[in-house]
Amino acid sequence: MPQVRIIAKNFMDMVAALPAMKLDKLYENAFICEAILRSLPPLAKKYVLQMLCIEVPVTAKSMEEWVLPDGVSKHRVAIDRLIQLRIFTETVDRKRETTYTLNPIFQTNLKKLLLYGVVLPREPMPSNVTVRLPSSEDLEAFALEQWECFLLQLINSSQIERPSNISSSMMKIFQRGLLSQRDKEAPRLTESGFQFLLMDTNAQLWYIIREYISNSEERGVDSADLISFLLELSFHVTGEAYNINTLTEVQKNTIKDLADLGLVKLQQGRKDSWFIPTRLATNLSVSLTDSSSRKQGFVVVETNFRLYAYSTSKLHCEILRLFSRVEYQLPNLIVGAITKESLYSAFENGITADQIISFLQQNAHPRVAERVPSVPENVTDQIRLWETDLNRVEMTPAYHYDGFPSRDLFEGASDFARGYNALLWEDPEDSKKMSLVVKAENHVHMREYLSRQRQ
Amino acid sequence: MASAPSKLYADDVSLLMVLLDTNPFFWSSSSLPFSVFLSHVLTFLNSILLLNQLNQVVVIATGYNSCSYIYDSSTSTNQGSDNGRMPARCVNLLQKLEEFVIKDEQLIKEGLREGIASSLLSGSLSMALCYIQRVFRSGPLHPQPRILCLQGSSDGPEQYVAIMNAIFSAQRSMIRIDSCYMGSSNSAFLQQASYITGGVYLKPQQPNGLFQYLSTVFATDLHSRAFLQLPKSLGVDFRASCFCHKKTIDLGYICSVCLSIFCKHHKKCSTCGSVFGQAQSDVNSTSNKKRKTPET
Amino acid sequence: MSCRQVVKRASYKSKIKDPGTPGVLTMTENKFVFRPNDPSSAAKFDVEFKHITGHKNTKEGTDKPPWLNLSDKDRCYIFEFGSFHDLHVCRDFVGNALAKSGEAAKASSAAKTTSEKSGVTLPDEQLSTAEMQLRMKLLQEDSELQKLHMQFVISGVLTESEFWATRKKLLDGDSRTKSKQRVGFRSSMILDTKPMTDGRMNKVTFNLTPEIKYQIFALKPAVHQAFLTLVPSKMTEKDFWTKYFRAEYLHSTRNAVAAAAEAAEDEELAIFLKEDAILASEARRKIRRVDPTLDMEADQGDDYTHLPDHGIFRDGSKDVMELQNELYRRTLSQDLNRQGAVVLQGRTVDVDLEDPRTVAEALMQSRRESDESAEQDRLDRITRMTEIEDLQEHHDHPVAQLCIKDPRDYFDTQQVNALKTLDDSRTGTEQKKCSLTTEEAYGSLREAISKIKSIGLKNSTVAPEIAITVLNGLTQNISSTKYQLGKNPQDSVLDSLPNKTKEELLHHWMSIQELLRHFWSSYPITTTYLSTKVGRLKDAMSQIYRQLEEIKQSDFRHQVSLLVRPMHQALDAAFQHFDADLQKRAARSGGETPNGNS
Repeated sequence: MPQVRIIAKNFMDMVAALPAMKLDKLYENAFICEAILRSLPPLAKKYVLQMLCIEVPVTAKSMEEWVLPDGVSKHRVAIDRLIQLRIFTETVDRKRETTYTLNPIFQTNLKKLLLYGVVLPREPMPSNVTVRLPSSEDLEAFALEQWECFLLQLINSSQIERPSNISSSMMKIFQRGLLSQRDKEAPRLTESGFQFLLMDTNAQLWYIIREYISNSEERGVDSADLISFLLELSFHVTGEAYNINTLTEVQKNTIKDLADLGLVKLQQGRKDSWFIPTRLATNLSVSLTDSSSRKQGFVVVETNFRLYAYSTSKLHCEILRLFSRVEYQLPNLIVGAITKESLYSAFENGITADQIISFLQQNAHPRVAERVPSVPENVTDQIRLWETDLNRVEMTPAYHYDGFPSRDLFEGASDFARGYNALLWEDPEDSKKMSLVVKAENHVHMREYLSRQRQ
Repeated sequence: MASAPSKLYADDVSLLMVLLDTNPFFWSSSSLPFSVFLSHVLTFLNSILLLNQLNQVVVIATGYNSCSYIYDSSTSTNQGSDNGRMPARCVNLLQKLEEFVIKDEQLIKEGLREGIASSLLSGSLSMALCYIQRVFRSGPLHPQPRILCLQGSSDGPEQYVAIMNAIFSAQRSMIRIDSCYMGSSNSAFLQQASYITGGVYLKPQQPNGLFQYLSTVFATDLHSRAFLQLPKSLGVDFRASCFCHKKTIDLGYICSVCLSIFCKHHKKCSTCGSVFGQAQSDVNSTSNKKRKTPET
Repeated sequence: MSCRQVVKRASYKSKIKDPGTPGVLTMTENKFVFRPNDPSSAAKFDVEFKHITGHKNTKEGTDKPPWLNLSDKDRCYIFEFGSFHDLHVCRDFVGNALAKSGEAAKASSAAKTTSEKSGVTLPDEQLSTAEMQLRMKLLQEDSELQKLHMQFVISGVLTESEFWATRKKLLDGDSRTKSKQRVGFRSSMILDTKPMTDGRMNKVTFNLTPEIKYQIFALKPAVHQAFLTLVPSKMTEKDFWTKYFRAEYLHSTRNAVAAAAEAAEDEELAIFLKEDAILASEARRKIRRVDPTLDMEADQGDDYTHLPDHGIFRDGSKDVMELQNELYRRTLSQDLNRQGAVVLQGRTVDVDLEDPRTVAEALMQSRRESDESAEQDRLDRITRMTEIEDLQEHHDHPVAQLCIKDPRDYFDTQQVNALKTLDDSRTGTEQKKCSLTTEEAYGSLREAISKIKSIGLKNSTVAPEIAITVLNGLTQNISSTKYQLGKNPQDSVLDSLPNKTKEELLHHWMSIQELLRHFWSSYPITTTYLSTKVGRLKDAMSQIYRQLEEIKQSDFRHQVSLLVRPMHQALDAAFQHFDADLQKRAARSGGETPNGNS
């Protein structure tokens, strides 16, 4: 899924775009260093590791010695990334030799991580204080439910049973770009909105987080602080409780929003309140990796246009409903059919045939994913045919003018219409009959013109 | 050499099987103290786990009498730090290692110790392969496995067959065996293992810079190896060693049953017990019935 | 190749040195005729193929002209052709002709003389054309094999059969792929064999072929059983079949009442008329095997054949189930089912169909065997079906071919190994002699572990100066391998040699391996044939030995000598063995004679 990468990268670009001072400040936090390290391309990771104990500059030439002809571009990308993120400092000395040094703060922090282990900014609360901690399954279920609920709300604000606490203004920001709303009509999913739904959870999460961060300055929160808090959060242990009082005021506000997204679960004890990070939160730093892992597919499409989705997710069902007729919903299986009607409604919503096909292909069940093609050809062809069916005739309201008294008047009128870019059709020149068709919206101008000419 | 089923997983996610030589007889005579060796290795393991959250490390101790899994990052969850002294996982590992060493000592039978004190590499190699096979069978989503032998003891000729079998099955399943040999002379077994499976064999020239070797060469994931030139070991010793005197030989006798190699004619194969035909030279004054084959 | 005659322009030579007599060679199925252009020349002859005991020819791409050499007991006929194409046409023709006359010539060829003395190779076995072609094909496909063949077989070091004997696998492997396709059981309904009726006379004629007999046996176990018990003890085969078709005829008239009446009179006829008892019992057994959860009652309820407007039409009339005389009725669906079952089973016997008795017995045999395996089959199928196939996991994992090493690798290593021995002897002293007891050794190990436990990994980082030296060392190692061995790291020592030398060395290596394989496999020497063979091999090897010495004198003395050393060693070992064996045999030959069958 290329889009996933784009978004993950975008986030790193956001980090890279931070001013040097802020970036250096970020690196003072060991977690950020680790998260950033994990987000690097594989080759760059290796370069960082081999420079870990070296304090003198290493020449670019000596590093290039290791690169095979096939790897030159990868090497270039890795080095560029490292320089961009200020992990490597590039210097060109008097002999015109390029050398690299590892950012000393970054280096020290990584070394510390390796030698002494991860020291979290806060300790988990002792178990005698926190009673009734949710089991890991419960927590997982909570996170998923919360996230799906959020997504459903995002796509379809009306259909929600239990609206989350996310303010509608926040929601508007998230919806920006994903939904398009024409006046008085129900908001519709845009093309990128549909693509958003097709991404895996982590990528979706990052998209939302990115929107959240880019909006932070408006709320008076420093984006670097927010980034560092989020990355830090991803290193907390899933299922452990952390005292909320260890957080700053800004972080406390943030964590409430995060709870709505399902990243953390908030609980209130007798004296203290605490937050429990879910897997969504701890996976944040994983999903930053360049080579993001793809989730397993679940859809089987048969040549008879039936589709079987092995999924328990309501969201999946909603997505399938966008372009197919869902026939049965079993506990772990959704059976549907791709019909002309269901597709027409999808096309009407602005979803293209190619998007549907690529969704079916990307989410193909592993057993059919091996086959070529993973979605039967007759189905893909038919989906495309139905789409072109719709595009065959384009309706434009128009007026037809004929019975012009003279050739001059006719030609003048047609030139006038052409001037408005409203001429749809005119009689060929050699034809005796003089008639032309003009868009309806320009009828007023035409009438004015014609009556002016007659005078 | 990308294996087909791992396509769905991120390219650089690795499963690193580390075979740790804990042969006391080697380490007591080695110029590099075991404590230094171990601390470098631990730091290396930490760095592998640091690189990618999905990376997995399994450590198998190769003892003198036995071998055992002593660490598996997928089952031990505690990431944190042990009072800020060292990563918590190292504490676990050291604890298990200590238990293993004690057990290994109990297994020793006094007086059985002979000249060559080799460790049970064949056993730990097989364990590593079994583990990887289980990972392969766990479904299409699995990290890219590789084996790293951190070996110091010299080759045990009695393990030749077992080790060669392990090497070939690794090659067949497309698993690379990297080896970092800490001993004084080269290990023919490990040289062959790395050569046949397409891994890297390295004998650090400066043992006290071990971490640098590990992080520069052996931390390279399989994905990146397509783009990088790693040290190529020249002069792999393909010559087989005879089983009787552990001599490296160019020409020898091979048991037709188990392919054991001997430098001179025997009446019986010492490995599989097959009885060889009587050398006819005594009876019929023709030459040995056992045929010689040039060893290549 | 099907043409019966080949006419080619060629010149005839009685000896290789002979300048040759130009003329026309005509080959027909059993003889070849040569007519010289100059009618006065004496070199005209007319030889039958059955006298020819061997043929060989020069290979294309060599410096030799296209020659075909046909030899009989006491002379050889060498023909030089205008082109290799002509040669190949004639060679193929001769191969065919020889194969045909081979049967006739078998007796004479058995007494053929070995050709070792003359140094000319003759195939000492009559090869079928197919085998010859296979060998030709193999040689053409593998240029290295062809080179070896050229070098040893043509020059007479090895005979054709000796050369191929070590390559049986190549020959086998190819023939296995060409395995004959088995003929299945005919799917047309034998039960529909229609009699031919003679309009005038009251007589019907059934056609019976061995194939039909076999089909009847397979389809009707009761008839099969009856045949085995009745023929020939009680009745002749002819009577048996007459009776059988009488019953068939009765069936075809669909007159169940008449059939019942006839059956009452003739008990043998009744066998054919009645329901096949063996099949019926088998059917009952099958029903018992059906999954008990299956509702058989419901299936039976689906049988509409007895309802009006339902049923199967056959030959224009409806196949009706009658409850009366059920014993003597057969329905089409029964027949179809049985036919289908037998066809799926496939042809189980593989004997000549001419003798119905042997067919019947063979079929009985195969039926007994299949009973046991069928059960196993069924179980296998069940286990395979239990998991829903659609979502089944793979059971197999991708595996790589086991790698067979390139001989080049061997050369590669030897050079470095030679340099390394120096290296190792220096570093070898580093290791201290282990003088600790077991307890002390283990104790120190535990101590090291607890040391780390107490102080942590603090001092495990490498000092920056050491780290940079290590990195530089590794980088240098990489760049040095790059430049020493050429741009491509995959290049080997061998590739650094000039192309000609490299090719030569590799070729010698191949030759030596081939010769050594033959050499060692000829021991112990039990026949004179083997001893001459070994002699031949030894001569060839010493020749190569000298050639290797010459190569060693070339410009790349150092590298070449390293590569040549293992070859020389291998040859030396062979020579040594040869001499020792020769002495031993010489010492003994006074007393006994070497006996081949010891």
